[in-house]
Amino acid sequence: MSFELHAILESKRALRRQLAARPVAEKLRLLDAMREREIAIRGRRIQSDSSVLREEPAPFRPKPL
Amino acid sequence: MDIKEVIRAINEMEADGVIECYAIGGAVGATFYLEPVATLDVDIFVTFRSEPGSLLASPKRIFDYLKARGGRMQGEYIVVAGWPVQFLPPGTPLVEEALKDAVRSEVVGTSARVFTAEHLAAIALQAGRAKDKARLLQFVEAGVLDATRFQAIVSRHGLEDAWRKFERQFLSDAP
Repeated sequence: MSFELHAILESKRALRRQLAARPVAEKLRLLDAMREREIAIRGRRIQSDSSVLREEPAPFRPKPL
Repeated sequence: MDIKEVIRAINEMEADGVIECYAIGGAVGATFYLEPVATLDVDIFVTFRSEPGSLLASPKRIFDYLKARGGRMQGEYIVVAGWPVQFLPPGTPLVEEALKDAVRSEVVGTSARVFTAEHLAAIALQAGRAKDKARLLQFVEAGVLDATRFQAIVSRHGLEDAWRKFERQFLSDAP
């Protein structure tokens, strides 16, 4: 293990490349697992909390000039 | 929770004539080309058919079809196999083109219609939120974009300025 930033970043890039190269079915299974984990972490309380900062919805339309 | 079940349900809906064609966009679409990134929902772009006797296109037939097969409504989403699914009409010429040019991708035992990497990247450029820029950067860094096709889409949809700005912000070595 190294604490050299360059090596850490390169290792992260390598992991991302490795994940991206996996078969689609496997990547979809990872999405399922990540969503299950996210639900477990968030819980229902946070979903109904209006004070939580939420992501704005995608506009899917051109921005005004 | 099984996103492949969502894909199967959408394919059945297409085969049964409830929708004409669809394409997966958003983070799930991007996962076909990049590393998977956690997402809350599945974005399905689809051309809605109008209800009999109405000129307005509506997702009602889609919701009725999926509810009859165990889906349940949750706000603007319908939950299928544990995933909130959002059906979106193509709201811009870029998304219309993306829907038309979407490609079939094999997923064990079934297939899914997905936006091309170049269209997903261009849509991220157009949407322009922080997470869209992060996704666009992922596409560029992963080297999965056909530069000629991407540039053609950018030009066709008047996104040259947005692309130049993105390049300056994220792809330039200059401070």
